[in-house]
Amino acid sequence: MAAMEEIHVSKTYPLKPKLKPRPKTPSKTPESKYWSSFKNHEIPNLISSVPSLAFSPAAPHRFAAAHSASLSLFSPQTLAATHTITSFSDVVSSTSFRSDGSLIAASDLSGLIQVFDVKTRTPLRKLRSHTRPVRFVKYPVLDKLHVISGGDDGLVKYWDVAGENVILNLKGHKDYVRCGDCSPVNFDSFVTGSYDHVVKLWDVRVGDENRAVMEMNHGKPVEDVLFLPSGGLVASAGGNSVKVWDLIGGGKLVYSMESHNKTVTSICVGRIGMEIDDESMQNRILSVGLDGYMKVFDYTNFKVTHSMRHPAPLLSVGFSPSCKVQVIGTSNGIIYAGKRKGKEAAEEIALGGLPGFQSISDEPLKRALRPSFYRYFRRGQSEKPSEGDFLVMKPKKVKLAEHDRLLKKFRHKEALVSVLGRNNPENVVAVMEELVARRKLLKCISNLESEELGPLLRFLQKYSTVPRYSSLLMGLAKKIVDIRAEDIRGSNELKGLIRNLKSAVEEEIRIQQELQEIQGIISPLLKMAGRRL
Amino acid sequence: MIRGGRSYVSSSPAFSNDAKRLLVCTGNTVSIFSTATGLQIASLEGHVALVTSVIVVPASSPGSRILCYCWTASLDGTIRYWDFSVPELMKTVDIRMPIFSMVIPSLLRSPADSERTQGLYAYISTENIRKSEKPKSLSGQLRKCNLTKSSLIGGVILKETLRPEFISVCPSGRFFGISSKRKLIIWKVPQTDSDQVALKKIVLHHTKDFTVLAFHQSQRIVAAGDVTGRILIWRGFGNKTFSNSHGLMDGNSQNYDDVRPGVRGDDDAESCSTWHWHPTEVNVLAFSSDGEYLYSGGREGVLVVWQLDTGKKKFLPRIGSPLLYFVDSPDPTLASISCADNQIHLLKMPSLGIMKSISGIKLPFSAPEALKGICGRFAFDKAGLVALRTEAYGIQCYSLLDDRGISEVYVCERNHQPADEVTVVVTLMALSSDGSVMSTVDVRLPEQDIGGLICLKFWTSAPENKQFTLSTVIYEPHRDSHVSSIAFRPNRLMAVTTSKGGDFKIWVCKDETQQKNELGQSSGWVCHAVGAYKKKPMTAAAFSADGSVLAVAAETVITLWDPDRNVLVAVLGDTFSPIKTLSFIGQSEYLVAASGNPDPHLSVWSLSQLTKSWSYMLQVEAVACMENSSSFAVVALLPKSFTESEEMTFVGRDGVILLFDVKQPFPVASWSVIKAEGGGLAFIEGNPLGEYNSDWRPKHRLLAFINGHHEYILFDPFDDQELVEHSVSVNRSLASEETEHVGYASLYGELPEFDLKKSQKAAAEAVVVPSERPWETIFSGSSHNLPPLTKLCAAFLESLLEKRPAAVESS
Repeated sequence: MAAMEEIHVSKTYPLKPKLKPRPKTPSKTPESKYWSSFKNHEIPNLISSVPSLAFSPAAPHRFAAAHSASLSLFSPQTLAATHTITSFSDVVSSTSFRSDGSLIAASDLSGLIQVFDVKTRTPLRKLRSHTRPVRFVKYPVLDKLHVISGGDDGLVKYWDVAGENVILNLKGHKDYVRCGDCSPVNFDSFVTGSYDHVVKLWDVRVGDENRAVMEMNHGKPVEDVLFLPSGGLVASAGGNSVKVWDLIGGGKLVYSMESHNKTVTSICVGRIGMEIDDESMQNRILSVGLDGYMKVFDYTNFKVTHSMRHPAPLLSVGFSPSCKVQVIGTSNGIIYAGKRKGKEAAEEIALGGLPGFQSISDEPLKRALRPSFYRYFRRGQSEKPSEGDFLVMKPKKVKLAEHDRLLKKFRHKEALVSVLGRNNPENVVAVMEELVARRKLLKCISNLESEELGPLLRFLQKYSTVPRYSSLLMGLAKKIVDIRAEDIRGSNELKGLIRNLKSAVEEEIRIQQELQEIQGIISPLLKMAGRRL
Repeated sequence: MIRGGRSYVSSSPAFSNDAKRLLVCTGNTVSIFSTATGLQIASLEGHVALVTSVIVVPASSPGSRILCYCWTASLDGTIRYWDFSVPELMKTVDIRMPIFSMVIPSLLRSPADSERTQGLYAYISTENIRKSEKPKSLSGQLRKCNLTKSSLIGGVILKETLRPEFISVCPSGRFFGISSKRKLIIWKVPQTDSDQVALKKIVLHHTKDFTVLAFHQSQRIVAAGDVTGRILIWRGFGNKTFSNSHGLMDGNSQNYDDVRPGVRGDDDAESCSTWHWHPTEVNVLAFSSDGEYLYSGGREGVLVVWQLDTGKKKFLPRIGSPLLYFVDSPDPTLASISCADNQIHLLKMPSLGIMKSISGIKLPFSAPEALKGICGRFAFDKAGLVALRTEAYGIQCYSLLDDRGISEVYVCERNHQPADEVTVVVTLMALSSDGSVMSTVDVRLPEQDIGGLICLKFWTSAPENKQFTLSTVIYEPHRDSHVSSIAFRPNRLMAVTTSKGGDFKIWVCKDETQQKNELGQSSGWVCHAVGAYKKKPMTAAAFSADGSVLAVAAETVITLWDPDRNVLVAVLGDTFSPIKTLSFIGQSEYLVAASGNPDPHLSVWSLSQLTKSWSYMLQVEAVACMENSSSFAVVALLPKSFTESEEMTFVGRDGVILLFDVKQPFPVASWSVIKAEGGGLAFIEGNPLGEYNSDWRPKHRLLAFINGHHEYILFDPFDDQELVEHSVSVNRSLASEETEHVGYASLYGELPEFDLKKSQKAAAEAVVVPSERPWETIFSGSSHNLPPLTKLCAAFLESLLEKRPAAVESS
């Protein structure tokens, strides 16, 4: 009993605004928490839309973005462009890293595919065979010698990079080939998607250049196609749906996710889990669309687990193999890069693996503290209490806002003026309510200087029609006009504010009337519907 | 019978010499609290009227610190001398006049001085009861009393005042004084006090009414507070009059006038300075024991510490209630302040930290005029807990059986500033029958029609402690009309609120309706249904014992509803005036309704016939119904004319508790009570011996009555034998007094007492008693109700062991 009293006597209560009703949406699941932990960061000032993004498979997992006639390389730590390759004659359409991350292939709309050294950014090979714009180029996951590409000529080409020559010219698509992906488990097979609605699985071991191993009809022009990490499933995006196909089951449709409102432009594989190489690591399909949404699709449970809105149509998406960075390219030249804070453990491991750093780890990690160290005097300050320790808590200091401090000193008018300057309507209303409880609000109003009346009127204009505050603010506005009529008449600025306030109120009245009319129309209908039941 | 709920702040408390105990005047008794635990350990019982003064005989030497003697004075006209360690009455001095204040200056003298005194003299402030016919007469008298001879010294009336005044005494016992209107009258205690010696006095004047005065420890400094909040400090008072040399020249005093800044007229003082911080009257003034500081306090609830030389201030703010008394203890690190909300805070001295609070039952406070009709008074739960509204926007949970506060809930989180105008009030509260859920309504009154707010809050508490936590807040539950009543449904998490605006709402806890199928969804109360009857203001509501019927009083008619489907079932007749209280009588088919002014009635309605079965014209204050029984009790106010005419039988008693059985319209029993207006009544289940839940003993069914001053009594209404008082709380907590360890024991703790003899004896007497047979009961019941096996196993195995009888232990 007594212990509790101690807390309450001579304690200050800071002012609390009224509680807001909580929205009925369920609270954040761990998964959506994970996805929102990618703190969004905008990379602006790219020349035009970003049709393609690629992550290097090798640490530190740099990523490349194609925009206009150039290709930029970004650092995953700073999310800033490190280098830009500009030796293109037309808009770059697609890019892909080789499996060791040392080469990058990029295609442009002139039909040329170039292969660059990532370190020196010099073009090593130029693959010229497509007669129309090339829409995708892809390095196979395991193979370092070949690339595949497809373009508006409806052809899919299998290249020998070193010799700059086409090995296979796969004909079969009846429209533009827009996308393709290579199997993560197989050297020789890959899928392509085309505007003829068909996703085709190719195998280079099949001699016939016209025959695909498998065909799946997506039903809409295919914008993107993706091998899922198991290698047995393929996801295709087209129209406003993402479809998952089972290759082992003979190209059977497993599920169709249709939660985008507009065309899905790009998909990639995202991974969820705290540690890399974790048992609990799960794969998700990240899809972006022209509706500006990025959706996370759990294809084992067939559920959209997270969705996030961006203020622009989205064209491409990429997810770092280290699970730290997620990038989204838009049509207006902005890249939304999300970086997740976390232990930089992965990097440290990578560093420790280098031979040069090996010798350091022989030394004991923690040296004994001696009084000659500065840290010696600070030792134990951040010690965490163990299980059985008896804790003596320091009384928590109540943090007081400025208006609270002023209210505590009974300087009511100053409190009101101070909180009006803070631009937080909830707090303003809370201060007003406290002043009402102290019977001081009207006194404050009549004591306000005429230059302090301006912010108050501006506040009233903005918020007096908000339903949560209107019961108090409407009455208050009336009183102010009554009490301070003289001052308002005397100042042109205040007159203008009152005019604004008046029009805000008139607008609200008009809305209310309209709503009442609508209610009048609806209520007989509802009554009739109720009677029929 | 248990009495309790007395005020701890009727007069100033006193510390014992070792500062381990605090003697507090509580009504007719003096309660002794431990300052270490804040719990009551004993009480001095003997006075038959309010105890007004308690004076601990100070220790003259360090050795006598353990002596525990005290003098008490009471309105019953006696002065008593006690040994409060035992506690035992040693002596009674009867002076046949109500004593309002008493000081014994010679006790405070240093031992060398007191040896010269022949007797022990007390100065008392009494009321002259004989003169009471003349309304304008001076009824207050300041008299002298010889305590050694146990007699009032006849003919010695030091001063007559309009009302009995409070006497202040100098800590060194040299002066005492009173403040009477705009005058301060100070007497010097003669060096050798005797019956006949004449006392010299001086008078100090001021332009405002004085409220309090205090003397400095060693110097001739007196401080006085007035009604406007000023503190006046006279230095060197009485230099002229009280000095031993009588030969002061007239010319000398002329000279004096020039160098007496601030002293009014020819008052006998060297200088007078004024300090002004308090906005309203000063109630507390005290000098610190070293004489360096002055403590002051008043209505605003801030203790101010003034440095006497410089006038610099230090504050202990936000105590939240007007301060009444400040008492320094012999221990320099401990002091106490008494607050008007019936709390005594023990202060850790130099730092002014509150160490412990002794909190009594919250006293009633006056609600603003606009809310008079709708304020609830008490909410009881079955286990003897009562919830009361506090002035500081809170609810106090008070245990009637233990007579102490259990917890306090702060409904509105704002600092309470005692002010003229009450603007935020907790108006209603209700407890569910098991006491686990509470609902409160707080109202913020609008300022000129803007900014009013009504808030309905639901609180839940963990079953083991009564600490309520906020579960749901509902702003303006019935638009802007006031909530008139709240009722909980028994056995279900459902509540109903009625409003003057003409509707009632049924609230359910989301927990129950959805069975927590949503992940992580917190529980909360939501509106389940809204009902109205002919747009009439709803005034009261009650659920039947099984919860299947909801009765809502729509002004003068009673409407019966099915709470689950929100369907009007029946309407019961008409009363003459709006119904105040509604209650189902146990499991029976009767409903009791009490209607208020202008035509007060108590009426009993039969639900099976939908008619009134009988009614009385009684002004009912509260109704209590018993579960599983057809009896109910009411507190009724006696009509004014009745009390006046039969004054002899009802001395000061203005109410009566009537116990009815619903079958017959005659009261089964009746008790007359005082201060019934604003009282509350409830049946509680409890054991007056304070042992909870001892299943093998039948539970006592007690009737609890709280009167308008929040004093209460618990008794068994069906017990015909004389009401025997159990001094429960005292005995129970006696053990909690801490004994201080010294030397070895303080370092290493006490050695276990090794009593060889006793253990041998015990072994010899270890008679094997037949163990109880819990297996007959512990495994019965349906399997999902059984406690886990791990628990059952221990109980079962324990029962198989042979038990040593408990009697051996106590021998």
